[in-house]
Amino acid sequence: MDLFGSYALLLAFAFALYAIFGGIAAIITRRPLLIKSARNAGFAVCALIWIGTLSLWYLFYTDNYSMVYVAAHSNRTLSPYYKFSALWSGQEGSLLFWSFLLSIYVFSVLFTYRGKHPELMPYVGVVLAGVQIFFLTMNNFVASPYQVFAGTGAGGILHMATRADGSGLNPLLQYPEMAIHPPTLYSGYTGFTIPFAFALAALLGRYPGEKWIHLTRRWTMIAWAFQSAGILLGAHWAYAVLGWGGYWGWDPVENASLMPWLTGTAFLHSVIMQEKRGMMRVWNVWLVFLTFMLCILGTSLTRSGAVNSVHAFAESNIGHWFWGFLLLIILVCVAAYLKNRDYLRSDNQLDSMLSRESSFLFNNLILLVACVAVLAGTLFPVLSEAVRGSKISVGPPFFNRVNIPIAMFLLFLTGVGPLLAWRKTSVESLKKNFGFPLIGGFVAAGIAIALGLREFYVTLCLLLSVFVTLTILAEFYRGARVISARTGSNLFSAASQLTMRNTRRYGGYVVHFGMVLVFIGISGQAFNQDKQMDMSAGSEMNIGPYDLHLQNYDSTQEPNYSAERATIDVEKNGRSVMMLYPTRRFYPSNQESGTMVAISSTLREDLYVVYAGTNPDTNLPVIHAYLNPLVKWIWLGGAVVVLGTILALLPNRQAVMVLSTAAAGQSAPVPGGAQPAQISYSARSQLPDHHD
Amino acid sequence: MTNRRKLALVCAACVSVASALVPLHVDAQKTDRAKALGTKLMCMCGCGQILTQCNHINCPSSGPMLKELDAHVATGEADDLIIQDFVQKYGEKVLSAPPTKGFNSIAWYIPGVAFAIGLGIVITLIRLWRQRDVARLATASGAPPIPHSAADELREVQLERARKQVDRETDD
Repeated sequence: MDLFGSYALLLAFAFALYAIFGGIAAIITRRPLLIKSARNAGFAVCALIWIGTLSLWYLFYTDNYSMVYVAAHSNRTLSPYYKFSALWSGQEGSLLFWSFLLSIYVFSVLFTYRGKHPELMPYVGVVLAGVQIFFLTMNNFVASPYQVFAGTGAGGILHMATRADGSGLNPLLQYPEMAIHPPTLYSGYTGFTIPFAFALAALLGRYPGEKWIHLTRRWTMIAWAFQSAGILLGAHWAYAVLGWGGYWGWDPVENASLMPWLTGTAFLHSVIMQEKRGMMRVWNVWLVFLTFMLCILGTSLTRSGAVNSVHAFAESNIGHWFWGFLLLIILVCVAAYLKNRDYLRSDNQLDSMLSRESSFLFNNLILLVACVAVLAGTLFPVLSEAVRGSKISVGPPFFNRVNIPIAMFLLFLTGVGPLLAWRKTSVESLKKNFGFPLIGGFVAAGIAIALGLREFYVTLCLLLSVFVTLTILAEFYRGARVISARTGSNLFSAASQLTMRNTRRYGGYVVHFGMVLVFIGISGQAFNQDKQMDMSAGSEMNIGPYDLHLQNYDSTQEPNYSAERATIDVEKNGRSVMMLYPTRRFYPSNQESGTMVAISSTLREDLYVVYAGTNPDTNLPVIHAYLNPLVKWIWLGGAVVVLGTILALLPNRQAVMVLSTAAAGQSAPVPGGAQPAQISYSARSQLPDHHD
Repeated sequence: MTNRRKLALVCAACVSVASALVPLHVDAQKTDRAKALGTKLMCMCGCGQILTQCNHINCPSSGPMLKELDAHVATGEADDLIIQDFVQKYGEKVLSAPPTKGFNSIAWYIPGVAFAIGLGIVITLIRLWRQRDVARLATASGAPPIPHSAADELREVQLERARKQVDRETDD
């Protein structure tokens, strides 16, 4: 039973091999039975990976300490909740979890398009199986989570040994969010495999037109939403658990997750150019390739020990496998491109510099430059060591200095891009669309400066945030006003109808607004304050408008850890406003300590208090307090981004609305003289999405 | 809504956002010199964090390094000298950003060079595509359509239709 999952993974490997070679044979022979057989092998691979993963979960929940992985990442007193998340807490389990999530995507794709697109799907199946086989190779032969302890019995015969208890889970991972953040982020990483598979398949199979783009758009958005949420959840975990008062430290692992997000964002924008105008075919294919390559590169960096990171897994030889896989991907992509580049030829034409097309080009440029800057900063220590023999550090000062101007430009384009017309924008239209938001932005910046704000980038961020918000509001207002005039509904109802008529466009605006909130939140970092003190009971610390009175310390004993806790009474303007309990935990199973930060969060600021340990000189507990303005806006912005993406994923309801109007017999002229179109129900499904 | 009312609404929104930000600035605490210098240095425990931000419990490096920094600041040494002392003791790795001289300064140029190259490509593309557009317009206004491309287009449409039919017929 212990090794049941191991056999399932071995079988999955065998089926994946069949899915590849059977798929290739199906492509060559075009025999429908072979196509179906290869696809069914794909289904079997997924089912077997699920069995392999569920089996490992079972071993965690049954405290099977004959398994090396279970013993290293769990113990008997670990709560069931963390036994669930312990599965991906180490190298081997996280790779299996990667396979697991990928298999969910693969199954969904194979199932959704079963029997459809016979000229494309065999290629897609082969590419997906190719990616799966790499991870199954890791799961089976390089980093198996199913290794067992061996002991020597009588006569020197090896047998399976069992430990009485495990070492326990890393304390940093014993935080509720760790059950959500890695699956979310990994769902982003693995999700980008789908557009990659379709792009490569379309290129290899010379699949005509922009169909592959339509097929993968939603998959890309899903992966992008997971990646966005994963990045923000990771930032929140770092903020709430690591206890250093920040949420983003430009750590290589953080950078590794940001890079594919940047190129994925670029793709989501430039793909509109291909859909609308048939432009940028080569660029889009390469953006998808690049996004997937960056997912693999990021994984290589953090699993090879090539770069230092607090999040990185222990140094191992596993990185070489990822480098090899990355090289293989590059070779396949370059070869496929060189062989079929004529297929990607498009008649790119541009009417004017002042057009939506130009803004997308600049948007892509800025996102790619941001990606290059992050990549350069992340890899430069390795380059420096290779050239000069000594490693250097590239820390937050570098990344902030380089990326803040880029981010400001991007924020500017977020406001400008959507308001430029396709093909050509007249100067009159520019004045009409931008005059009002621009004035609003300058008024906001002017007021802030008059009130004493002097930080250049914060002022610029405020100006641009107001500008972008007003452009978004103006867009909603203009559309809603037209609908309101036609239907007589109020503006909010009209705005809702407007959004549901073109979910992609207005969902996109909601995402942009979410990003504005994130930018505002990040700008608050310029005003962070912190103070550290050795505090005895009854002592007091002042930070910003708050007085922190330390009342007492106590300790508690929990099944899995012991905890020291400070009780702090927080006063504001002489009035007690809250009690905070920063805690320090000690986990005896792995002899490690961890902090539980006490955070009081409002839209204005976070009061963030850490029990930082005991000063050996004074033998007093050290309390480190931070006042971090506007942090909550970041999490709020993240939620808006995800909601906006979900909105953009919904099908348009334009026809439904017209149908219901027609069915209700409301054919009377609506204000403005427009008549609702009479559309039959059957016609509804044939209506194309009104992309924008 | 009149323009004046719109402007009033915008001003009200701006005032509320700006007033949320500005008092934070007024209250902002002045960081001391050691704190500012600490952001230019890395903690050497391998955590990859800024010296003043390393918050690892029982970190073997950050405590002694911060004490060392305080001692340097107390002697009134110039910032550059203090940083130099740290570099001599711990190597260039102690700097939180690459130096702006020598080989490592390349790190600072990469984003700028990438932007310049990218901008050059974008501008070239825009010019090229605009020329194509002008040529297209000229063709459309005068010259007859080229039979070859029309035939290609027709073939493409027929091919697409055939593929759709195959899709339908092989649908499970």
